[in-house]
Amino acid sequence: MKKIILLCLAAGLVFSGTAIAKGKTLRLALDADPKTLDIHEQLSAGMLQFSHIVFDPLVRWTLDMSFEPRLARRWERIDDKTMRFYLRKGVSFHSGNPFTAKDIVFSVNRLKKSVDFKGLFELFEEPVIIDDHTVDIKTSKPYPLLLNMATYIFPVDSVFYTGKDNKGKAKDNIVKVGYSFAKSTLPSGTGPYRCTYREHGVKMLFERNSDYWDKKSPGNVDKIVLSPIKEEATRVAALLSGDVDVISPVPPQDFKRIERDRKVNLFTVTGTRIITVQMNQKRSKPLRNPLVRQAIVHAVNNDGIVKRLMKGTATLAGQMSPEGYLGHDETLKPRYDLEKAKQLMKQAGYEKGFTANMIAPNNRYVNDEKIAEAFVSMLSKIKIKINLKTMPKAQYWDEFDRQPADFQLIGWHSDTEDSGNFYEYLAMCPDRKTGLGQYNSGNYCNQEVDKLTLESMVETDMQVRAAKLKKIERILYDEAAFIPFHWQNFAYGARKGINVEPILNIMNFPYFGDLVMK
Amino acid sequence: MFAFIVRRIIQAIFVMVIIAGIGFTVQNKLGDPVRDMVGERVSVAEREALRDKLGLNDPFLTQFGRFVRNAVHGDLGISYFHNKPTVDVILSKAPATLELVFGSTVMILVLCFPIGIYTAIKPKTWFSRFVMGSSTIGVAVPVFLTAITLIYIFGVELKWLPSYGRGETVDIWGWDTGLLTADGLLHLILPSISLSSIMLPLYIRLIRSEMMEVLETEYIKFAWAKGLRRYRVWLVHAFKNTLLPVVTVFGVEIGILFAFTLLTETVFQWQGMGFMFLEAVERSDTALLVAYLVVVGVMFVVINTLVDIAYGFINPMVRITGAK
Amino acid sequence: MRSWQRFRQSYFFYSFKRDPVALGSFSIFFFLFMVSIFAPLVAPYNTYDTSTYDIMDAELPPSWMDDGEERFLLGTDIQGRDLYSTMIYGLRTSVFIGVGAVLFQAILGIIVGLTAGYLGGRVDSTLMRIADIQFSIPYLIVAIIASAIFQLAFGVGRFEELALPLLIVIIGLSEWPKYARTVRASVLGEKNKEYVEAARVIGLNRRLIMFRHILPNTMTPVLVISTIQVAQAIMSEAALSFLGLGMPVTKPSLGSLIKAGFEYVFSGSWWITFFPGILLVTFTLVIILFGDWLRDVLNPKLYKG
Repeated sequence: MKKIILLCLAAGLVFSGTAIAKGKTLRLALDADPKTLDIHEQLSAGMLQFSHIVFDPLVRWTLDMSFEPRLARRWERIDDKTMRFYLRKGVSFHSGNPFTAKDIVFSVNRLKKSVDFKGLFELFEEPVIIDDHTVDIKTSKPYPLLLNMATYIFPVDSVFYTGKDNKGKAKDNIVKVGYSFAKSTLPSGTGPYRCTYREHGVKMLFERNSDYWDKKSPGNVDKIVLSPIKEEATRVAALLSGDVDVISPVPPQDFKRIERDRKVNLFTVTGTRIITVQMNQKRSKPLRNPLVRQAIVHAVNNDGIVKRLMKGTATLAGQMSPEGYLGHDETLKPRYDLEKAKQLMKQAGYEKGFTANMIAPNNRYVNDEKIAEAFVSMLSKIKIKINLKTMPKAQYWDEFDRQPADFQLIGWHSDTEDSGNFYEYLAMCPDRKTGLGQYNSGNYCNQEVDKLTLESMVETDMQVRAAKLKKIERILYDEAAFIPFHWQNFAYGARKGINVEPILNIMNFPYFGDLVMK
Repeated sequence: MFAFIVRRIIQAIFVMVIIAGIGFTVQNKLGDPVRDMVGERVSVAEREALRDKLGLNDPFLTQFGRFVRNAVHGDLGISYFHNKPTVDVILSKAPATLELVFGSTVMILVLCFPIGIYTAIKPKTWFSRFVMGSSTIGVAVPVFLTAITLIYIFGVELKWLPSYGRGETVDIWGWDTGLLTADGLLHLILPSISLSSIMLPLYIRLIRSEMMEVLETEYIKFAWAKGLRRYRVWLVHAFKNTLLPVVTVFGVEIGILFAFTLLTETVFQWQGMGFMFLEAVERSDTALLVAYLVVVGVMFVVINTLVDIAYGFINPMVRITGAK
Repeated sequence: MRSWQRFRQSYFFYSFKRDPVALGSFSIFFFLFMVSIFAPLVAPYNTYDTSTYDIMDAELPPSWMDDGEERFLLGTDIQGRDLYSTMIYGLRTSVFIGVGAVLFQAILGIIVGLTAGYLGGRVDSTLMRIADIQFSIPYLIVAIIASAIFQLAFGVGRFEELALPLLIVIIGLSEWPKYARTVRASVLGEKNKEYVEAARVIGLNRRLIMFRHILPNTMTPVLVISTIQVAQAIMSEAALSFLGLGMPVTKPSLGSLIKAGFEYVFSGSWWITFFPGILLVTFTLVIILFGDWLRDVLNPKLYKG
């Protein structure tokens, strides 16, 4: 053991971080593996986690929510529509091609073509090359969140992905179903690992990139073996029996067991995904009455859910914006009070209650089905009888759009790590044409909320912006526009000797490149 | 015989068309595969465009016609999740399922004969009583409960055996096998035991009762009278005659074994066809779903035809069903 | 009363009294059956009513353990339901589904078997071919497909009320060929006997002969397979619920309790899986034991398979 530590130290000193200690293999089990090898094909947490292993972003979030330079060394605002990025020199892709400003242009253009990313990059224009390692990223309107979006720009190898493949198809095609070069070829990125093998749904192998530019990275893992294990109990069993080294997510019910076991450790990070239930005012007459909505919010013991179902590892919520977001207002507290709820129901004239129905997914959020079940039980105490149907997420979103139920559960994570995104999708009046309020199945509609949200989108003065966002949050709270539950945490289980903590962050994109393994 | 096979082929086609028809009728209700392909933020218009491109918005008959036309050429569509032709996906998952069925079959065969014969010869010993008692209980325990118990005891508490997946596999002429590595064999143990637990009690009882019946027959009594050695009588004279019914029953029951791989594979995260099927249901991978149903339908028709033919050969007294 | 007298003197009752296994298994079965029928009277809480439990009582261990509470004899599940009451209600669901599904498949199978056997010819071969085809695909797969289809066809609104009848139909549909074959086989045996000839000669119509004269004589094998089929149906329901295609979460059956408990098996809350598992195994076991005994006593020529 001593020898190995010495060896590690020596390796660390001589080669400063390039992983030399042979045979350090991390066996990682997640609930699913990346859906495709083309990082621009799908926007999902899994794909972004993959991007952080094989690619590098321009900048990335740190745990305290500030920006850390990665492929961009530094940046400066030129005007309110332009940001200049100074790129790192001497970086090369896995294919050996050097990384230059051309790759940024190529990547941003490709993102704008991708069905999944084009919404996020709508305001972006073609970047302008200043020299090989300087580039201007421009937006069509003043955009306060440009740096937030730069965390989504993972430059891909423009030489590698240009031209025709042996089937005569353009290499930069983004195809959802069927063949494309990018999705069926092991990718060429700048990241800490190269992907060397992939059998979709079964196994994926990564090997340390020996030419990795970040010589300061403490990471010493040589090889990562990623296997998807969908069933939660099986995933935990695999960790406990030593079949794998690190697992995520860890279901809350197993926290105690992992903490008790001396061979494994549990790590949790506060997340920013809010879990809510929307009350459809279009479908249900009682739900149009703000008193009834208030009563429901007061009847929901979300503290009980956090304590019992989530085993205390979720952050109790009374609003959408988590702490650290501009819209977060500390005075908006959770409101559980059953007596008051009953009173409010009486006041609203629904003392005898009413019946309603509800849908919820059963494999999308942590314990989603159980939360819905608990919600049904809680509302039956104020005599609202709910018919609940749960289903897998693949069926759920379609149903969600069709709005067959009065209560619909939804969790939301802001892509931009900013409050505005919550209101844009969940609180604005639904409008098919503009796509605003796209996931507002409660059909809550308030002109003032709409106006404030639109204004905040282009407001670059952060103080004015914060005031506007806080005001929206307050209105939603007072009108009981939705039912808040909690912000979901992320949990990792790891065997002793692997400290996952330094590589975690609130977005749940672990930076495996920096992982130290004993 | 020829007429019989032709009839079975017609039947198989008939089954396939019906199954595909059912699959197609429900596929629109099984959720939208596009939803699983794109991120959650993608707009309605973009999704509709994608649906159009995939032909999911065409009228039912157009889609079904296209499917049948392609199916005739052996093309059952492309899996939305795996991004490969569905037939390739199913074939790539088949070895896992077949090895699981194989593993438990071996386990059943290795255990059922000695135990069955022993309990027939020595019905009064405590071991026989224990076996008979536990085999009755074995029938009543659902396979998923057996699997959970095994994982808990051997995987989690004792940590003797791996509790999920197939372990290390090697590729032999396109057949991805776990039977040739120590790791792969270790991974096979618990799932095989679970799967065999549904059939093993039945076989032990079957062999026991057949053996007991045979031991009562005249020619065994004659063998005793001749003064043959005990083991010769038991293992050669008596045992041989219990084989026929066992073989026939086995042919029929192997289909049931196959069906129960669905549950076993789910609990053990065994990457086989059953696991793939349930995942396809969950992901609304409708193309894969329909293809799976068609392939399974054909498989069972083939298995049954083979069993019937074999049965006809073994026992000429039985007329082949449908051959008048 | 006379028939009771006759029953008491019958060979059937005699051997029943003399066989401890039969006696024991039947008493346990009868006891559990009664408990499930009178669940609302026996169970301390009506856990199918969502307002009777509270999340704050979740995951309490059985009452004799450290954190256990007097109120909950066998502890609570993750939603705070009294496990003891939930098991009784779950058993009730299992019994309803088991008996209902068997009635459904028996009626369907008997009608098909009787028609096929008595009419013969083209009707026979068509009906039996359909039965063969369905029989060749294992029932679990049929049930899974049917369950997925039905759940979708009926939408989400009234799923909770429809779940039970749907499961009965689904499990019933997947097993009817067994009855059809058994009944057909015994009809073929009965068809040419004198009493049928006699009935035909005096000009009774076909339906009357089929249902009044032949049917009663085919009931013994039907009775025998029925016991095993009830156990089978209960296990099918458990399997479907385990795969998440069974009863809704607010009305858990034994299978759904086991599934829910599976997620908690490593966290130390063993009772959520253990007690429902024991109950399910006990219940199916006594049915199977009684069925075995019944078969040995009545010993009809059964179709094996």
